Amino acid sequence: MIVSSAKSSPSTETLSRTELQLSGVWRVVVLNDPVNLMSYVMMVFKKIFGFNETLARRHMLEVHEQGRSVVWSGLREKAEAYVFTLQQWHLTAVLESDETH
Amino acid sequence: MKRIEVKLSLSIVAPLLDVIRLLADGLSEKLAAPQELGDVDEDLRDAWLEELITGQTADVKALLALFDEDFFSEGIVAFDEDNAEPIVRACAAVRLRLREVYLRGLADDTLEGGDVELEGLAEDVRKAFMCYLFLATVQDLIIQHLDSSIIES
Repeated sequence: MIVSSAKSSPSTETLSRTELQLSGVWRVVVLNDPVNLMSYVMMVFKKIFGFNETLARRHMLEVHEQGRSVVWSGLREKAEAYVFTLQQWHLTAVLESDETH
Repeated sequence: MKRIEVKLSLSIVAPLLDVIRLLADGLSEKLAAPQELGDVDEDLRDAWLEELITGQTADVKALLALFDEDFFSEGIVAFDEDNAEPIVRACAAVRLRLREVYLRGLADDTLEGGDVELEGLAEDVRKAFMCYLFLATVQDLIIQHLDSSIIES
């Protein structure tokens, strides 16, 4: 929640918003694509996140069946690094702000 | 060092290499498939994309290096702990690009299932789909035999 007084200037409010967005919880989301093999997606999850076979399969199936899976959440800097690495492996990965926190 | 050698049919694979090389040229300039960078810091986006393309270019170079003089004389390609990772990634990049350039007319379900009647496809699409299947086979082989070295590297 953003708390700002009635007297705060627009620039102060913008700064608060930005600070909150940067410091809040961020999600790393992998989206489905019809190209990458299931075995490939599982291998990438194991490599990048250290998932075991069961967890890698669970996230892979979630991507495949529901179109997306949140594979990690936490601080923005680390979330960005994970999204970048997933994209290096050609998975469709996006960074999302977790507004529930 | 773990190493696998695979003998390929020259008469089947050689014609597919033209398609792979053609797409590989484009992969030094753009991503295999678009990525959504909406939430990435605007100042970071150019460097982000540049680094992805640089990595992609190096990976594709490793894939093309498989098809050297030895391949054209013996039909054999070799995968090991050094080249497995870039090659398995390059296969993903080229497959994504094949979809973007040639296979958009195929439904996602069809592409995922691989259940396509080749006779019904135009020649360029048929050749592209053969490349798509060939690269998936390469990925499967690498994942079956070398995935632990990739995961632990």
